[in-house]
Amino acid sequence: MGNKQTIFTAQQLDSYQDCTYFTRKEILRLFDRYRDLAPQLVPLDYTCQPDVKLPYELIGSMPELKDNPFRQRIAEVFSDDGEGNMTLDDFLDMFSVLSEMAPRDLKAYYAFKIYDFNNDDFLCKSDLEKTLNKLTRNELTEDEVRMVCEKVIDESDLDNDGRLSLEDFQTMIVRAPDFLSTFHIRI
Amino acid sequence: MSSEPQRPGSREVHDYTEEYGYHSDQQSLRLRRGPSRESNQNQPQFDWSSPHEEEDEEGSSGPPRDLRATPLPMAVKRAIRQVQQMQVPVVSSRDSWKRKNAKSLRKLKDSGMGFLSFFSLWSKTLQKIGGNFGGGVQSYFLFLRFLVVLNFVSFLLIAGFVLVPSIVFRSVGAALVNSTGQGACMVYDPNPEGLVVFYNYFLDLLSGTGFMEYSYLFYGYYNNTMVEDQNFSYNIPLAYLFTTVFYFVFCLICIIARMGTAARVVVATGSSTVGDYSMIVFTSWDYGCLGDRATKLKQQNIHYQLQVDLEEESIKKRAAALTLSQKIVLYSLRVSMCFVSFGLIIAAFYGIFAATEFSQVKSGQGQGGILGLLFEYLPSIVITAGNFVVPLLCDQIALIERYSPSTTVIVALLRAVFLRLVSLGVLLFTLWRQITCEGAENTGDCKLCQYNHLLYPCWETRVGQEMYKLTLFDFLINIAVLVLVEFPRRMVVDNWSNKLAQWVGRQEFVVPANVLGLVYGQTVVWTGALFCPLLPLINTLKFILLFYFKKITLFHNCRPALKTFRSTTSTFFFLVVLVFGLGLGTVVMIYSLSEIRPSMGCGPFRFFPSMWSIVPRSFHNLSIITQEFLFFIGSQSFSIPLFALSCVVMCYFVALASVYGKSVALLRAQIKLEGRDKQFLVKQIEMLSRRQQILKQTAGASS
Repeated sequence: MGNKQTIFTAQQLDSYQDCTYFTRKEILRLFDRYRDLAPQLVPLDYTCQPDVKLPYELIGSMPELKDNPFRQRIAEVFSDDGEGNMTLDDFLDMFSVLSEMAPRDLKAYYAFKIYDFNNDDFLCKSDLEKTLNKLTRNELTEDEVRMVCEKVIDESDLDNDGRLSLEDFQTMIVRAPDFLSTFHIRI
Repeated sequence: MSSEPQRPGSREVHDYTEEYGYHSDQQSLRLRRGPSRESNQNQPQFDWSSPHEEEDEEGSSGPPRDLRATPLPMAVKRAIRQVQQMQVPVVSSRDSWKRKNAKSLRKLKDSGMGFLSFFSLWSKTLQKIGGNFGGGVQSYFLFLRFLVVLNFVSFLLIAGFVLVPSIVFRSVGAALVNSTGQGACMVYDPNPEGLVVFYNYFLDLLSGTGFMEYSYLFYGYYNNTMVEDQNFSYNIPLAYLFTTVFYFVFCLICIIARMGTAARVVVATGSSTVGDYSMIVFTSWDYGCLGDRATKLKQQNIHYQLQVDLEEESIKKRAAALTLSQKIVLYSLRVSMCFVSFGLIIAAFYGIFAATEFSQVKSGQGQGGILGLLFEYLPSIVITAGNFVVPLLCDQIALIERYSPSTTVIVALLRAVFLRLVSLGVLLFTLWRQITCEGAENTGDCKLCQYNHLLYPCWETRVGQEMYKLTLFDFLINIAVLVLVEFPRRMVVDNWSNKLAQWVGRQEFVVPANVLGLVYGQTVVWTGALFCPLLPLINTLKFILLFYFKKITLFHNCRPALKTFRSTTSTFFFLVVLVFGLGLGTVVMIYSLSEIRPSMGCGPFRFFPSMWSIVPRSFHNLSIITQEFLFFIGSQSFSIPLFALSCVVMCYFVALASVYGKSVALLRAQIKLEGRDKQFLVKQIEMLSRRQQILKQTAGASS
């Protein structure tokens, strides 16, 4: 313990603490996890803010993410380039949003982005179908998929345009008590 | 609730990326503009003009808290933070002191939470269980942890006020209060005579007789010591009574407090029928699910849930399409099956009644050895057998009734709860019959002492022993099922690749049945707390061991259930069932306190006509002012206005809740209307622009 670490400056750690839901210890632990993915790529000294990006394959191989059917979408949403290659900032941001202290609105915003496969800021029928297939490993029949998508849009589309906007999604999430505990990765 | 976590509304918006030369060509998904105008509303917009007003309005919870909750990339957030820190605002020293205070308070709170979480019991285990088996199973273990803590705190309460003073006064040798009474009633000699065979110790441990009977474990050992010193007085009987009553009130308060948090969640989600499919699609995937096997199971689970829901829909459609004669047949079938299940339950009750009478008579005769132990445990055996067989038969009946799947689960649960709690009530009723000679306290054996002093020289200890045996037997049965059924089943299924073994499959952790077992165990403790003060401690140990045993069997023998139990509504349901159990315990306690005459040969209440009568007697030792005050509180001139006031307050809250519900419905309708307005306006715009184009074309053609 103490201020012996030389990875970050004190100001950097302070700013990380203010911008995420992690404590100082957790930030250092997450840095260790990030570095463990590629020790030869990630330097031990971040005081000069090196521009290091880990490719998606490494991120997607983390034990917390490797079995998640949405891991690619998660990495794409939180990465700067939209391809899933993450810097340390993106990494911390991702786990901060997915931690248990993040508020519901923030999580709902990112969940919406994750399920929006075609990035048009609406959850249309094709997005829902892709989500459903990822949830059930393509085991539902075409008819069932279609019925469920119709029901979902029926239930949640409040402005009647045939697709879910962010407001529709957030209104629906307010009524889901489990959302905060399921949209949560423990690291 | 707005879509923009910052400030909504009509303020000017500065796009941070353009003003501060941030890499505008980066395709960050979080700041990208969408293809259509409407999607601009979905972009997070950081309002630079607002920070000053923010600080004025929200003094202590300053910008840093808001920054964490904004959905912007990390680098943007850090830059914003830098800018905010550089903007040295012209604030008074008082404001900056407030802000520094708030920041250090927040750091203190964070470290405090970290410290407290160290004390929270088993939190890592619970996380692991939740990740691997889902919220339903985790809620069972959370419930178990709640009961462990409740029992432990109750034990501390009882130890502090009853046990420790008794030990101190007994060792000091405080004098007993004596009185003349019927000689025959005061005969009570629990100590065994002569040489005791070694294995008898073991049998005594299991049945609470012999060396265990005359000990701090049971009511009979406590004395009616009333110590009165110069500046210290302690009345053991009064302490015993008040501690027990307070123990019940304390448990009720804890359960209601816990129900409050669960109920708030249930009320907030409103009607659960709306939004079922959306819930499943968007919120059922557990991002914390680890491992390939768990993921596959979770996916199968979701698949199964969706299929079940779709099937329920088709069943409902079919049910609506039934002809009148088919409906009559179905309903008459359901009513008759209801009677059949009631008949089964009543048969179980009669079995318990007969077994208890037989057991009491036989143990009164004092048979020793294994046969004696068997007779002692006969009521527990019959209750457990009934609790096992009757729900199985009711499940078969449910197949004939053909309710929808969710209704079937609820009906089965209600039947099981009814069976468990009322069978305990039947046991107690049978005991009461024997103690008070079937209610007629002035006839037969009860004439001398108003209770059956021949069979029960110390009836409270006897009731305490029955509850002790029930608790112990419940625990032993759980262990036995674990060792003799679940582990062998897993070994058979894993090593024998037979079709039969695969069809039987691995054990499933059935949450409702296990929770009912916990509620039953806790109800037994509540009914027995008056007669066996150390029962909460025994129960704490039992539940702690049960936690570890259930955890072992969960991880080694069970596969996750295909049909999940909704974790949030189920917590509320468990607590409601627990309140029923507490109600049963309260009824028993109130009846024993006020109606049955305490034993004259043992216990702290031995020379009182009823246990409650010590309160009026001690009452007169209080000062006049306290007496008058208490009389006033109990009188009508205080209680009737109080009652009227609470009615008014309750009506106010009910009205408030209905108003909120109505305004939510109105707002929802308004959103729908606005959507339609928008579509109408868009169509108008298209029509007008088309007309303009046509006009331009004709104008161009004509010129």
